[in-house]
Amino acid sequence: MSLGDGVRGVLYRELKVFSKRARKQILASSVSPLLFLVAFGWGFGRGVTMEGVPYLAFLIPGLIAMSSLNQSYGIAQEINISRFYFHVFDEFLIAPVSPLGIVLGEVLYGMFRGLLSAALILLIALPFGAPFAPSPLFVAALLLHTFIFASLGVALAMLVQDHAGQSAITNFVITPMIFLGGTFFSLERLPAPLKLVVSALPLSHSVRLIRDSFLGRPTDLWHLPVLLAFAAASFGLALHTVSRVES
Amino acid sequence: MSGAPPVLEVEALAKSFGSTQALEGLSFSLAAGEFVGLLGPNGAGKTTTIKMLTGLMRPGGGAIRYYGRDFARFPVEAKRSIGVVHQRSNLDRDLTARENLTLHAILHGIGATERRRRIDEALHFAGLEAHGNRAVKTFSGGMARRLVIVRALLHEPRILFLDEPTVGLDPQIRRGLWDLIIRINQTKQTAILLTTHYIEEAERLCARVLILNAGKLVAAASPAALKREVGHFVLEVQREDGLEETFFESRHDAVAKLEGCAGACKVREATLEDVFLKLTGRRIEP
Repeated sequence: MSLGDGVRGVLYRELKVFSKRARKQILASSVSPLLFLVAFGWGFGRGVTMEGVPYLAFLIPGLIAMSSLNQSYGIAQEINISRFYFHVFDEFLIAPVSPLGIVLGEVLYGMFRGLLSAALILLIALPFGAPFAPSPLFVAALLLHTFIFASLGVALAMLVQDHAGQSAITNFVITPMIFLGGTFFSLERLPAPLKLVVSALPLSHSVRLIRDSFLGRPTDLWHLPVLLAFAAASFGLALHTVSRVES
Repeated sequence: MSGAPPVLEVEALAKSFGSTQALEGLSFSLAAGEFVGLLGPNGAGKTTTIKMLTGLMRPGGGAIRYYGRDFARFPVEAKRSIGVVHQRSNLDRDLTARENLTLHAILHGIGATERRRRIDEALHFAGLEAHGNRAVKTFSGGMARRLVIVRALLHEPRILFLDEPTVGLDPQIRRGLWDLIIRINQTKQTAILLTTHYIEEAERLCARVLILNAGKLVAAASPAALKREVGHFVLEVQREDGLEETFFESRHDAVAKLEGCAGACKVREATLEDVFLKLTGRRIEP
């Protein structure tokens, strides 16, 4: 079946390439969360509380959201290189597989990268004494979160025409979203207009769910349908862009 | 050329980029097992044509049919019957030859047992048996080209598109590739559409050539028929402002003219390149 062949083919390729660089990639992806953890959580944040919990406990789920976002969305850069430099992406486009298979394969790979980095942070952070109450909601939130950003990564990789376009989007959209979207501090501290803008971004909803479920505290479940809507829209966009892409 | 039903029909294919008309009104068909060359100067529309025929680019107009079925409506079915070697190598440099072939096999739904057999066969066919587990980035240009070609054949396509398969390779390696390509056409009865800058290559390999110039088809016939149109013999006279060429029907006429010639003069047989230059009016760069 052409859908299954597409998913399997894309995953085979991406995981093979990943496995050849796994050690380097995993080490590299854990540097910045570890620095944030030491500098802000352990150094600066000692004795500070945020939303009623120690800052370190507040920060860790934020770092999980940040790092898994970076990894899931980061497949955009790999797809870009394979599109523009090595033309490997052409091999998918000329194969008898549907665009849906290609998108699903890439999104699953992006989710794998995101979930791997989330697991890594848990591993690093737990010795710091973080309270962690694993729950189905935490897993669901993380799955949706990585699904959304992997889909956006695929769409972006199709839309940009070169590397510069890609880093512009990262600098103007992704980085501000990470800094303002509730990763490092409570959204309650933002002035009302800015808060409104930020709550239109998917990260502010996913980070909320990830944090509340991480800390095992009650949450607003309406974030879930909002995230589902973001997931549908971003996957739809990814599918649309892959169906239209030319090489 | 006649008799066999067409495996590919192209009708009034067109494409423009902004205000530039890259291709207009291209119509031709390809019969089962036929070997056709697509020639043209740089920018004539060869690669654009191949990209549209293989689904990497959407046509601006016209129709493409594989086995009578519209390519735009049934792309997946059509892609099962075609193999493509693009001008730029799209091998995965980090993967080994075997892994590159495995990826192709998975994308084409070839099951694990069959996959193994075909990959061994492909590596053998390309003379790469000993290099299956080497990363492709360590391959020479000729090895990589052979691998790309056998990869395109792994799913046993009935139609093979070769876009400049020998560009940038040594003469020895080009000859080797010609042998490989002829074997594919003859032993597997695969129809081939080849684009090339090397006119000599098309003359040797193709039963029929299509010549594109500035996005339009300017000739379509066998190399021999095209040469008949310009004349069999050429008298070359080196003048101060360049080479002057005169065409003759017979050697006798050409030699008669040569006798009164002063300076550097030479009579030779006409080649497909003469036809090409006459039709396209400019020299092509490799």
